Amino acid sequence: MNIVTKKWLFLKFSSVILIPLMGWFIFNLVSIFDKDYVEVVIFFSTQPSKFLVSLLLVFAFFYSALSISEIFKDYVHDEKIKNTANKLLFIFAISIPLITILIIFNLNI
Amino acid sequence: MENNNPLSPHIQIYSWHISSLISIVHRITGVINIIAITLICLWIGSLLFGETSYEITKTFLQSFFGKFFILGLSWSFSFQILSEIRHLIWDLGYGFELKTTKITGIFVIFGSLFFTILIYLLGKQII
Repeated sequence: MNIVTKKWLFLKFSSVILIPLMGWFIFNLVSIFDKDYVEVVIFFSTQPSKFLVSLLLVFAFFYSALSISEIFKDYVHDEKIKNTANKLLFIFAISIPLITILIIFNLNI
Repeated sequence: MENNNPLSPHIQIYSWHISSLISIVHRITGVINIIAITLICLWIGSLLFGETSYEITKTFLQSFFGKFFILGLSWSFSFQILSEIRHLIWDLGYGFELKTTKITGIFVIFGSLFFTILIYLLGKQII
């Protein structure tokens, strides 16, 4: 299978997973954003939100990295800059969700 | 050699269509969403520092700007969800007729505003 086709399929697969997760998350975010520390920690450290937030972060950063790399492909014409930008993007897309998931799994009251 | 060719179509004379507007806003909200999710990661990280340090974050989130941020994010998420569903329908081979793209485009714009209000009211248990 062509690499571009694979990339497109990954994008579509992650968007199908992200649609319900984003809806669920924004609804819960509106419910908890102004609550006390204890309530916010309980939300992030208990199931199913612990698992669903982790899943959202993995797919959101994966989807964004793929989409933003497409924007780089369209608008950045210098190969060196494009490669560096893509490398930085993928480091960012792996490290941020990984660190946050580790924090979520270590949160407790 | 200097290129003196005119830019065409130039953004100042370009005739805007609903599809081009939705396409640009889809990209902008995508960038906004990932910046917001990164900020949410920092927010989650701030929970590690304990209840006392969390007071600063809580004060911001309870302020006008905090509420505006959450409301804006609700719109950005709603827009991205509806626009992505529109893209998935296209991927299945439906909705390419000019009239249909206009109708679905208008639905994305007004639907995102409707869902923003609905999510906020339901989330805050106002309704």
